[in-house]
Amino acid sequence: MHLHFVGILAPALLRLEDQSLNLAIETRTLTKTYKSRSGAINVVHNLDLQVEPGEIFGFLGPNGAGKTTTIKILLGVIYQTSGEAYVLGKEAGDIEVHKQISYLPEKPYYYEHMTGMEIMQFYASLFGIKDDDKCRKLLDRVNLGNDMNRPISQYSKGMQQRVGLAQSLLNDPQILFLDEPTGGLDPIAHIEIRDLILQFRDEGKTVFISSHELSDVERICDRVAIINKGEIVAQGRLEDLLVGGRIEVTANNCTDEVAASLRGEDTLVSINHGRMIVDLPDSLSPNEVVLKIQTAGGEIVSVIPRRKRLEDLFLEAVGKDNKAKGRQLKSMVGSTEEAAS
Amino acid sequence: MNAVVAIAKTTVGEAIRRKVLLIILLIGALLLAIAPALEALSPRQEMTVLRALTLGVIQMTSAVIAVVLTVYMIPNEIERRTIYTILSKPVRRWQFLVGKYLGAVSALGLMMALMTLVMLFVFLITRKVDGVSELAAIAKVPFAFFVQMSLLAAVAVFFSTFVSPIVNFFLSGGVYLVGTLFDSFFKTLSESKDVPQALKGVAIVIHLLVPNFQSFNVQNAAVNPGQGIQGEGIMYLNLALYAFTYIAILLIGGIIVFENREV
Ligand SMILES: Nc1ncnc2c1ncn2[C@@H]1O[C@H](COP(=O)(O)OP(=O)(O)OP(=O)(O)O)[C@@H](O)[C@H]1O
Ligand SMILES: [Mg+2]
Repeated sequence: MHLHFVGILAPALLRLEDQSLNLAIETRTLTKTYKSRSGAINVVHNLDLQVEPGEIFGFLGPNGAGKTTTIKILLGVIYQTSGEAYVLGKEAGDIEVHKQISYLPEKPYYYEHMTGMEIMQFYASLFGIKDDDKCRKLLDRVNLGNDMNRPISQYSKGMQQRVGLAQSLLNDPQILFLDEPTGGLDPIAHIEIRDLILQFRDEGKTVFISSHELSDVERICDRVAIINKGEIVAQGRLEDLLVGGRIEVTANNCTDEVAASLRGEDTLVSINHGRMIVDLPDSLSPNEVVLKIQTAGGEIVSVIPRRKRLEDLFLEAVGKDNKAKGRQLKSMVGSTEEAAS
Repeated sequence: MNAVVAIAKTTVGEAIRRKVLLIILLIGALLLAIAPALEALSPRQEMTVLRALTLGVIQMTSAVIAVVLTVYMIPNEIERRTIYTILSKPVRRWQFLVGKYLGAVSALGLMMALMTLVMLFVFLITRKVDGVSELAAIAKVPFAFFVQMSLLAAVAVFFSTFVSPIVNFFLSGGVYLVGTLFDSFFKTLSESKDVPQALKGVAIVIHLLVPNFQSFNVQNAAVNPGQGIQGEGIMYLNLALYAFTYIAILLIGGIIVFENREV
């Protein structure tokens, strides 16, 4: 059918067809403008996202960056001002596509008078699914098996979040949109949800996740996009984005000659009473350094890789135009990490 | 269809648990229960007065419930973000709106049925009616009211797709009052020869746009025993058709607005 379609229409469409069909999610120069008293603001501006099928994609950015707005456009509950948004190759909001995706909003709310089981039955019926067994199994999967007949009003925040995840699995979706799925959860609930998300990837689902938990994102995401004030400031595979880590080699009994021989363009060497610290980029192998030190009679104390963290990248990318906020963010990130670990 | 029914069902579940509505309902039921005690006020025509009063209480209570129930319905869904989980499923916006409306009307029907039962019960134990046929004549009236309130609910649902709940409360309430109390006024005005053309135009527009809520006030026959209605069945059918047409137009209008707006 596609061949037929493409055959008749112009090559421009050909491009659209072969690109969008292979991507799980794609946006092109997506822009959303809100009018306010002080004029129009671009909440999302010229956003170009590409999400491959089967990957966990982290969508990051400070508060108010436009993450939730982007997700809402992708779901078709709000409309873009300009640009294009495709989900599973169809324009965002397509009702057929909605059968294959699901969404967990940030700070979700469920009809409080219903029990966990009734919530599941309600959402199932929106898909035309009548399968209590499936509902029960999904509730079991998120550890709510024993609480499924209690009203939601008695659920804790973490339990509500887990009902949310359970309902989002009802249609066995190809794409899951999760907006801050671990927001406000305790460390254990947090880890549980993280593990569930990893299971989704094993099942071949695409997960589009917006989160402020950089350590989580770093642990589970394949690729990320960082947006700030509606614009992408970094996008790519984590391993590509997090290059530029460094390795620190520490040794005792070193001579100044060894130190001098190791100094290089991007290799910093300091020596003090025979104790030497070599700081080299991780693109170079530490083997050579270690070997040189040892042949000169030096004694290796430690070799420590210092990976570039997502946090560093985030602050670099977002802090560029707002140093003060960056610093503030850094202290915030630090404290949440402490709290989580 | 599944989705519409599911949404309607949860809407009923929510509505019958809303405290405001239950309080209004309780006040209505209380008024109905104490109404017979007021007969002392008017010893002469106590039967007529009591019936008019009781039916009036049901009507007013239902109107308040209909408006309060519907003006917050859509805004609440948006504020609590439940609408996002629903609309991200294969549910079309019209299904959502129609489901919400049907749920509201069902909840309203339940509450009105309850009040009607209270009324009949009170009439029975205070022996204010003679026989089953009179009781039936009275019991019929709330059906017309129900159709009237379904129409009022459609007005409120229509407005709720583009105005805030408070504004909607006054708008829908206003439409109801204009359609009940001032319908004949605007009708006369629009047919009169002595008024300026501009005023006449306004009157015609209002008379045409605002549903004629007055025609659902069929209580006179039941209130005054002996005043039967000619062709009662046809009248009820006409009322239902009239309301149904208006409701359909209002819902379609609401859907058009809702499809194009952001939620
Ligand atoms: N309906 C609206 N009208 C006007 N401005 C809006 C509207 N919705 C969102 N915004 C603005 O758009 C910006 C982006 O909001 P959005 O919710 O997408 O941010 P976010 O990245 O999800 O932030 P957070 O991390 O805090 O959830 C904010 O500045 C917000 O004030
Ligand atoms: Mg957000």
